[in-house]
Amino acid sequence: MKEAVPRLSLGWLLSTFVLVISPHLLRLPIGVSALIAVCIVWRVLIFRGRLAFPGTAVRLLVVVFSLPLTVLSYRGEGAGLDVAVCLLILGTSFKLLEMRRRRDMIIVLCLCYVLTMVGFIYSQTIPAALLALVNIVVITSALITLYRDNIHSSVESNTRLAVRMVAQSIPLAIALFVLIPRVAPLWSMPIPVSSSTTGVTDEMSPGDVSRLSRSAALAFRVSFDTQTPANEDLYWRGLVLDSFDGRVWRRGGSSLLSFEILERLRTPSRGEVLGEDIGYDLILEPTQQSWLYALQLAQTNTADIVQDRYYTLQTRKPVTQRYRYQVRSALEYRADVRLSGALRARALQLPQEDSNLRAREFARDLRRASSDDEGYMLQVLRYFQEQPFYYTLTPPALGEASIDEFLFDSLQGFCEHYASSFVYLMRAANIPARVVVGYQGGEVNPFEGYTMVYQYNAHAWAEVWLPGQGWVRVDPTAAVAPERISLGAQAVLANEPGFLEDSRFSMMRFRDTQWLNALRLRLDAVDYAWNRWVISYDETRQVDLLDSLLGQQLRERIFLVLGAVLALFFLIAAFFLLRGAPAQMRDPATRLYLRLAADLAGSGMIMRHRGEGPRDFCERLARQQPELADDMGRVTGLYVQCCYGREGNEAGREQLLQELMARIRALRLRVASPTRRLWLRLLPRHY
Amino acid sequence: MNPIHAVRPWFSSRMARWLDHRLPAVNHILLGRKNIFILPTGAGLLFLAATLLIFVTAINYVLSLAFALAFLMTSLFILGIFHTFRNLQHLCLRGLGAEPVFAGEEAAFGVSIEAQDSRRHEVLELAFPSAAWTRSDVEAGEAQRLLVYLPTQRRGELRAPRLRIQTRFPLGLWRAWSIVDLAMVCVVYPAPRACVLPGYTGLHSAGEAQSAQAGVEDFQGMRAWQSGDSLKQIAWKNFARGQGLMLKQFVETTEDRWVLDWDMFPGLTQEERLSCLCYWALEFSRQSLDYGLRLPGVEITPGRGEAHRRQVLRALALWQEDPS
Repeated sequence: MKEAVPRLSLGWLLSTFVLVISPHLLRLPIGVSALIAVCIVWRVLIFRGRLAFPGTAVRLLVVVFSLPLTVLSYRGEGAGLDVAVCLLILGTSFKLLEMRRRRDMIIVLCLCYVLTMVGFIYSQTIPAALLALVNIVVITSALITLYRDNIHSSVESNTRLAVRMVAQSIPLAIALFVLIPRVAPLWSMPIPVSSSTTGVTDEMSPGDVSRLSRSAALAFRVSFDTQTPANEDLYWRGLVLDSFDGRVWRRGGSSLLSFEILERLRTPSRGEVLGEDIGYDLILEPTQQSWLYALQLAQTNTADIVQDRYYTLQTRKPVTQRYRYQVRSALEYRADVRLSGALRARALQLPQEDSNLRAREFARDLRRASSDDEGYMLQVLRYFQEQPFYYTLTPPALGEASIDEFLFDSLQGFCEHYASSFVYLMRAANIPARVVVGYQGGEVNPFEGYTMVYQYNAHAWAEVWLPGQGWVRVDPTAAVAPERISLGAQAVLANEPGFLEDSRFSMMRFRDTQWLNALRLRLDAVDYAWNRWVISYDETRQVDLLDSLLGQQLRERIFLVLGAVLALFFLIAAFFLLRGAPAQMRDPATRLYLRLAADLAGSGMIMRHRGEGPRDFCERLARQQPELADDMGRVTGLYVQCCYGREGNEAGREQLLQELMARIRALRLRVASPTRRLWLRLLPRHY
Repeated sequence: MNPIHAVRPWFSSRMARWLDHRLPAVNHILLGRKNIFILPTGAGLLFLAATLLIFVTAINYVLSLAFALAFLMTSLFILGIFHTFRNLQHLCLRGLGAEPVFAGEEAAFGVSIEAQDSRRHEVLELAFPSAAWTRSDVEAGEAQRLLVYLPTQRRGELRAPRLRIQTRFPLGLWRAWSIVDLAMVCVVYPAPRACVLPGYTGLHSAGEAQSAQAGVEDFQGMRAWQSGDSLKQIAWKNFARGQGLMLKQFVETTEDRWVLDWDMFPGLTQEERLSCLCYWALEFSRQSLDYGLRLPGVEITPGRGEAHRRQVLRALALWQEDPS
């Protein structure tokens, strides 16, 4: 059946398509967006009768030219998924041009559902989810216009029906979401890695960390199983940088190994846990990088996370979506009590062509004056404390000998300056040391009790290896600006020019206005709950939740539970949607009589004509089925008496009805098939 | 040979028998759980395929919201069963029969659809097998009369096949249908066939006859009223006297009185003869001439008027009808 496109549907469908692709438009190359616009305008012109449907040649030409151009426009970025998404959108737009019949429109609408899902690959925030919900309502209304008569089809009525249907299907959708067993990915998929990384990078040169303090963007959120540790214990380790070229600190050694190699090595941790460990649950914002943040000394048994020799954590794929993981950390620990030769060499490396001669001399002198390594370290920290060092976001630019200039001339810097020069001074005195970058501190959300860590919490500090103690965390910034560590970056930097400069419209800037700040924290709490319970609901969390909801025994028979839920949904839906049957207006005698007639028809004996009187019917039955004549005659007599008889009082009529009931029942049992007879026996007498 | 071709007749006969048992011929039927069937449409399968695609992507990219979308679409699909089903439920179908037609024309069967509940039933589609669809909406609590067409091929009594009523409203993902036998019958007259009537001189005399007959009618007698007779000729006075419905019969003083005879058209087959007779019966009726009919075993005395015409055509339609 070829069915033409209802006129109203086309407008619906084109608006739906525009709505669905709108979130993708920013990501698409301009040429592709223009091509899509051309397709839409062309289709509208076809509808207006200005243009014809494109012929085969034109269609072929468009496809042959646009596909390679699309692929080429993505060249060099290596974004396979982006190309696929772009081609999907382009294909859908081309389909608009050959959309003549209802079937074509259904295909386009199904593609619109798929495109809605594609949006989730890029963003799963609450606004994205709400937009998707709107999309689904609109696509569903477009589907309704296809099957509705134009008289009843209006924007309002179609939307109302679509909203009702979507709302009605939400309860079952939630049940399926919670109950349907999640499985591990079937095959590995390319993921879109954005070229613009956020947060801490794997290089540190002067100015890198202070740059992050211009942003009020969220880095990650943590909720601790027990009490949140004090602010000065919250050193979120990201990367260890141990290779220095005189200006830039870089990663080196085994921290450059890929996840696959580290996974194969899986060397047991050389860390030694001393005290109690604390567990916490961390949701990392997308960084486009593969390392994770944790407190030293971290342990995790998640399959997707490995720990390298630097005690940093790495995950299988770059974090392109919010990523949730659980870690246990022992705040009292000993790490690498025995240092391997390679690691020691790395931790002592200094630039080959070093222009920081004054710093070297300073280190040599100070080490000679100190009794041991630890004493030397304290001397250096005292130097930071006693000299007029100034903790600032906007230090003066440094030249070639950056360490020298900072230590002895400018004396102004941010944490990367302190960490860098401190490690340099340690190494210059032959003490193994390295730079650690990550975040420090965090803000506790009073509503939900979790900790929010922002980009401006970015920090760099040092780790020094001391004999017998292993790697010890030393934060030279704390020596200069202790309040940075105890009160947090916000308290110290609030009045610095440049702080949060990139987040001009962030609510963070209004934290002094109490109700706005409360609103900000509330919204963040909602977003956090969304991520905790919806976005990161996966296999393991499902097992946990179902165990606590249903118990393990039922969880292992999840399909039974699913079946029960489905049955319940069917019952409820049937009750609410299918009720409203016509009320039985007939008197009980007629009802019984008609049931008998229906049974007679059902048994194939005789069909009562419409409007055939009871006596006529009885005569006809007597002719065709003589063996039923007597019974039917009696029933008919009683029925006529019940309906039309005037004699008798209330009690007499009731008695008559009872007798009719009994006789009709007997007759029905006589004519019924065996199964039907069983039913009749089970049913109440008056049925 | 395609094995499906071998199985199909067997299957359709089984199906017909099952349907006859489950949905016997009735004058009216209330659509409900017992007589509505429902299956997904092609669009529904496409929708499911899209859902499956979303589900697989959700698994592979571990996208919680894509899971949610897939489940929302699944439950929308399931919910579609109820919405489509209830669009057909509580409808009372009643066969109203059909006016006689000539073979080759389309028989228009009247069907009344009554919504016996308080919701509007939208986009109901009705058709006989391999015939054109009739679409309609039915407002809550109201009845809608529709004509459903069925092409006719040969004369005789056409028993309407099972009527299919279906709906895909609202989402088109499911098709709910019922195939009901409303026991409707349509009398199909033979297709008129122009041919030469021996002894007929043409329209000229007919024109004269028309002027001569106007109003010059003699009362001939009474006969009992039969259904199909004109109400104008009823002897209402006799009825008032309690003599039952009697018909006043008149005889016209016209010479043009023809008896269409089976033997008038030698050399033609049975059906062709009936077609010729039909043509001339219509022709005489149009010219308001008296005409009768004589077929083997059937004798209709000459007369005129609508009732007479019907009687003659009906006799032609039903005469020795091929039992097949």
